[in-house]
Amino acid sequence: MATEKEKGLLATLWDSLSSVRLTIFLLIVLAAVSIVGTLIPQNATPEEYLRIYKISTYKILRILGFLDMYHAGWFVFLLGLLSLNLMVCSLRRWPSVRRFFSPPDVKLEEGQWKGIAPGRRFSLPLSAGDSLGEFQSRLSRTFGEPRVLQEEGRWHLFAEKGKLSRLGFYCIHLSILVILLGAMIGSFYGFRGYVNITEGESADRVFLRSGQQVEPLGFKVKLEQFSVSFYPTGAPQEFKSTVTILEGERKILTEPIRVNEPLTYRGISLYQSSYGVASVEKAILDVVERSSGRGFALSLQPGARAEIPGTPHSLVLDRFIPDLRGMGPAFQGRLLEGERPVENLVILQNHPEFISKMPGRYEFRVREIQPKYYSGLQVNKDPGVWVVWAGCFLMMAGFYMTFFMSHRRIWVRMMEKKGETQVEIAGASHRNRSEFEREMDRIGQAVKEAASSGRKKSAAGGPS
Amino acid sequence: MISAKMVSAVTFLYLFSTVLYFIYLAFRAERLGRFATGVAWTTLGIQTAAILLRWVESYQMGFGHAPLSNMYESLVFFSWCIALLYLLWERKLKSRVIGAFALPFAFAFNAYASLAPGVSAKIDPLIPALQSNWLHAHVITCFLAYASFALSCAVSIVYLVKLKKKGKMEKEGDMTGLFPALDSLDELIYRTIVVGFPLLTIGIVTGAAWANYAWGSYWSWDPKETWSLITWFAYAIFLHARITRDWRGKRTAILSIIGFIAVIFTYFGVNYLLSGLHSYAS
Repeated sequence: MATEKEKGLLATLWDSLSSVRLTIFLLIVLAAVSIVGTLIPQNATPEEYLRIYKISTYKILRILGFLDMYHAGWFVFLLGLLSLNLMVCSLRRWPSVRRFFSPPDVKLEEGQWKGIAPGRRFSLPLSAGDSLGEFQSRLSRTFGEPRVLQEEGRWHLFAEKGKLSRLGFYCIHLSILVILLGAMIGSFYGFRGYVNITEGESADRVFLRSGQQVEPLGFKVKLEQFSVSFYPTGAPQEFKSTVTILEGERKILTEPIRVNEPLTYRGISLYQSSYGVASVEKAILDVVERSSGRGFALSLQPGARAEIPGTPHSLVLDRFIPDLRGMGPAFQGRLLEGERPVENLVILQNHPEFISKMPGRYEFRVREIQPKYYSGLQVNKDPGVWVVWAGCFLMMAGFYMTFFMSHRRIWVRMMEKKGETQVEIAGASHRNRSEFEREMDRIGQAVKEAASSGRKKSAAGGPS
Repeated sequence: MISAKMVSAVTFLYLFSTVLYFIYLAFRAERLGRFATGVAWTTLGIQTAAILLRWVESYQMGFGHAPLSNMYESLVFFSWCIALLYLLWERKLKSRVIGAFALPFAFAFNAYASLAPGVSAKIDPLIPALQSNWLHAHVITCFLAYASFALSCAVSIVYLVKLKKKGKMEKEGDMTGLFPALDSLDELIYRTIVVGFPLLTIGIVTGAAWANYAWGSYWSWDPKETWSLITWFAYAIFLHARITRDWRGKRTAILSIIGFIAVIFTYFGVNYLLSGLHSYAS
């Protein structure tokens, strides 16, 4: 009893796993939760969430996994269920697909003639043997070599094409599994990391995007130079990091990395992702003494001290700030009189309108800075990516087979009667029926024409 | 820029063609129909010239690139795709009755490009992220897919209108009398989606390939990517419902319209309402 009950349960489970209704339901659910996922910012910081949500809402969303939804257990479960559904559906449909791959009888039963397509009947002014030849040559051109059978004074022909289109559905569904497999390989055996490298320095490990771990690369990446160029409009034109790959101390290669042009070495790809000013090598300042209006140009290195000529003062730039409260790059420094600091200075590079309003003995303007850049590189390893592309190609092939090919079968039977041959044609197509009807008409027409022109020829040549 | 002026003219010409197709529906005069078709093809020609001219203009400005890089350019290209696909279907089906419902889409997107204050016709140089050959494959396939879905939506509207009229008495001179039979409309809804769905898939795949080059990840669940997947799900639902569960008619027509709403949200909603990696497209 218990086993029967279990069987019933298993059968029910199998039934529901193999239903397209479940597929449609899962697709609707996936679409719906994905919409939610685009409305709730993903993987933001707690501060950002608390700006949008009440703390209670935030906690609920976090527990339900909506803050990193696409990696939440239940979302992965839905994808897994969809895959399972796909597999079970495919298995279940296999017997009904397989029968199209075993060749049907060349000779159709009388009942079958009525079942498929309204038959086309006509007679040819040829012997049955010649008619057969015409059909064979005609059909082998578009359908492939027909099979022939002679029985009870009748000739039977069968030909088919586009059998593969019956498998298109398998290709598409298999391709989805292949793509998901590729994604899984990527998430198990790959990593996503990033590293900031300052010009002249190198890195042999990167920080992972997930968590705080560090991943060793197995080689060293040295940033030789970073450069950024701009269009006349001010929009960025190119970000370029020139890097050298080193194995130990041995230089392997030196190549540029640009946006859209990553560098791949030993399965690890380096992408241009961000940049910034790490430090300043040298700054050139325009200095105006307010009391006299005299101007000087000072060139100095951060940390070092520069005398302002003809005055008791000198300038020290202590610190470079890449972005001072959203106002852009700035220097923090001191004005010295002898050894004694007399003023603390903040010198903004970009906002000249503040400079005249600042108090002090001098006005400082930044004419030029020679920065030392750092380059932010995205560093990824994804051994599954080729599996994903293979899946995509398989899907395309599947679409072509499913939507743009059709399985067409054609049967012909012939019987010789009083020097003429009576012909019947029937066919079946699992897609685009009306186009196939036209194709059958064309074949019939072509054979009729060939037969009548053949007869004329033989009639003309006959008496001589 | 001359190309922008041509685009403005195209707006009015598509409106004019739409009106002509409606008049054709009302009076059923074959000559009027031929005239409407002629105007539509001419407008498409002018629009093609405008797109090519904009391409030339960008080279004259010193940073030449195919006009497929911002909201304005994509809107014009979208409109172009809709008009082209519609006219090709018109030839194939030898029927003009969908025109009155399809061309308004071509008109609307072109009008939005040339009239909306937020959409700038300025030609900008390509920022580093967009400097890739994947741009062309990605944008062209996506918008051909969108256009095919727009047609499907138009046919679905025709279907629903006709279905509603069918309930009442078909009076003489009723526009829906010219519409093809419900069955062939239903078939057309399906066939346009069968064209659009693989194209959308190629669009998503080329986008993924490009993302893999530019950002190092073929899929990051960015809102644009996610919405394109939602759209893909919507049409996958349509295909499964129709092919395996034999849904026909009203229900599939509604699914097709829902699918196109997802397309529109993927295109506009994500740009304007949600932020993400695609933000340069707005």
